[in-house]
Amino acid sequence: MVESLVQIVRFRSLLVTLTARELKARYRGSVLGFFWSLINPLLLLGVYAMVFGFILKPGHGAVPTEPYAVFLVTGLFPWVWFSASLLEGAGSLIANAGLIRKAVFPAELLPLVSVSANLVHFLLALPITGVALLIGRLLGYPVGGWGILLLPAVVALHLPLVAGLALGLAALTAHFKDVRDILTNLLTLLFFATPIIYPLQAVPSHLLQMALRANPLTPYTLAYQQTLFAGTVPAPWEWGEMAVVSLIGWAFGTWLFGRLRETIVEAV
Amino acid sequence: MNGGGASPPALLVEGLSKLYRRATPGDQLRTLKSALLEGTLTRGLAPGQAIHALDDVSFAVAPGECFGVIGGNGSGKSTLLKVVAGILKPSAGRVVATGRVAALIELGAGFHPEITGRENVFINGAVMGLSRREIERRYDDIVAFSGLEKFIDEPVKNYSSGMYVRLGFAVAVHTDPDVLLVDEVLAVGDEAFAHRCLRRIREMLAEGRTLLFVSHSLDLVDDLCDRVLWLDGGKPRLLGEPRRVIDAYRQSVAEDEGREHLKAKQAAGAASADESDQEAEGTRWGSRRAEIRAARLLVGSTGSSDPGDPAELIDPADSRGAATEERYHLESGEPVVFELDVHAPAPIEDFVFGVMVSTPRGIEVWGTNTDLAGFVAERLEGDARVRLACPALRLGAGEYLVDVAVHARDGNPYDYRKGLFAFTVTARERGVGVYAPEHRWQAEGGVAWQEDDGSDPG
Repeated sequence: MVESLVQIVRFRSLLVTLTARELKARYRGSVLGFFWSLINPLLLLGVYAMVFGFILKPGHGAVPTEPYAVFLVTGLFPWVWFSASLLEGAGSLIANAGLIRKAVFPAELLPLVSVSANLVHFLLALPITGVALLIGRLLGYPVGGWGILLLPAVVALHLPLVAGLALGLAALTAHFKDVRDILTNLLTLLFFATPIIYPLQAVPSHLLQMALRANPLTPYTLAYQQTLFAGTVPAPWEWGEMAVVSLIGWAFGTWLFGRLRETIVEAV
Repeated sequence: MNGGGASPPALLVEGLSKLYRRATPGDQLRTLKSALLEGTLTRGLAPGQAIHALDDVSFAVAPGECFGVIGGNGSGKSTLLKVVAGILKPSAGRVVATGRVAALIELGAGFHPEITGRENVFINGAVMGLSRREIERRYDDIVAFSGLEKFIDEPVKNYSSGMYVRLGFAVAVHTDPDVLLVDEVLAVGDEAFAHRCLRRIREMLAEGRTLLFVSHSLDLVDDLCDRVLWLDGGKPRLLGEPRRVIDAYRQSVAEDEGREHLKAKQAAGAASADESDQEAEGTRWGSRRAEIRAARLLVGSTGSSDPGDPAELIDPADSRGAATEERYHLESGEPVVFELDVHAPAPIEDFVFGVMVSTPRGIEVWGTNTDLAGFVAERLEGDARVRLACPALRLGAGEYLVDVAVHARDGNPYDYRKGLFAFTVTARERGVGVYAPEHRWQAEGGVAWQEDDGSDPG
């Protein structure tokens, strides 16, 4: 895990350049360009808000989730960052096979570029969350608060987990292409097993609630909901939990990548 | 300059081997397991499961030396370069390089199609280990060298493959490598750019930089390299002075081609039962009043009684010397015999035998027949064997096709067999064209020169 960190520091400018390349390449040739970074999450939010806010309209009981779109947005955008980073990161070594087969290239940068590019998208979509909170406030809902100032800390704790998993999955996928299909389905399951479209407290069964709380992604989602939607500060033990989960994710991912590093070039 | 000098080598390769796991269906889980547990894909594989891309290769390259690697496709040249570059991990052995190593395994690696040439220069430079400031300092030189000033702000997906190469090479040679690894890249650019690249490579060699050069262009290798390694199936076959190694390689290729010609001929012979096929393909025609059942090329001592008469033939006695063998590759100037097995079901009095040598592109190189040579036909009946002996076939290097025919004096064919067999000629001396006579250069007056015996082309 230290070696990967050293590589990142050593090639940080390359990481920045490649992230910029990734972002530029994604929108080059499209009319709206970078606005897609705003439009995409807005459209996604619109779909989810419609399905879960109007069509299904779940009763959340005493738990405050109004306005639902604002509640949804606080958990959904970090999830999109997480899942897109993992999916793109997992395929990144294969997608860039030409690069790592033909040049001496620090392979760990490729999944990390997926993570950082999607982080930029996430950050670019934050104004939407801000506007949503503002509108909620104007409509008289008790959303938002000073807790929002701690958002960077939540993202910073979330990042090693995302990066570590992306690294490990990328190395695995290079050797074992089935990982990508397994991952796609696993992410769908995880999405519903994380309290994003519903509040954790609204889950009827206590046992199920505990199971969902044990999902390693739940602490981050709760932290986003607290800092953004409720505007409150997560408890110290919650910070500790996020740090530990993140450390484990990073250590596991980089360990996996390190084990498979030497054979990646031959496997892709 | 050679690797065994007193100065420490710029590049040392010791006992290098590289195994690839043979792809077998349903193998991915084992691949993953072996990679995860052992950090290698090939440990503990049975001999049949692995491919030796490199097998115990060792050499040392001195600073400022140009070291060439030649060999057929799949001989391990590119794998060698990738292992030396550090892209692949060797299965055994080690590589020690002094200083910065830049590899041009394939140009344009790391180019992103959607973004501009300018941005790609920076990414490519960064991949090669340059800081942004270093690239900025060299940027103008790089663009000027590539000659792509007008296109540098276009996305590289709009570039031609030649433009790709120009930009890639321009970046690579401007990264100040101590050891430059070049894999068959000069063939892509146009003539002017290839010359510019060669000039730059020579400059770099003169500056004491080291070059490891893989190419199929043997003349270029001969011209550029101080020493050459010939790889054959991953094994070092020969290492030494370029002319000697390249000659040996060419000889071996010709032998392989000769074997192929022989095999093709045998296959054609086996299929000749179905003559209508050959006629449909336009490779055989005639009335078959006499037919050519087989023809072969014999190379070596002709044993001919009179080497001064190239048309010596229709000799009932076996004129073949002991050293003569059937083969389809020869060195220019070797004696050859074209041998025809002929059969006439009924006696005929009007017949002419002919042989024609032409290039695969259909240029007639040499042809003759018994009528032109002044033989007057009397009788042909049953089985006969006809030989055309040539004490020294002085053809230029290349591949040749042979037509053989038996026909009437008026040209009406009994059996014409077009391209019945092929053979390959190698030439010790370089030259252009299909003819390579014995020759000698001489001069008088204000000419001064030295003969290059090939021992030190540098």
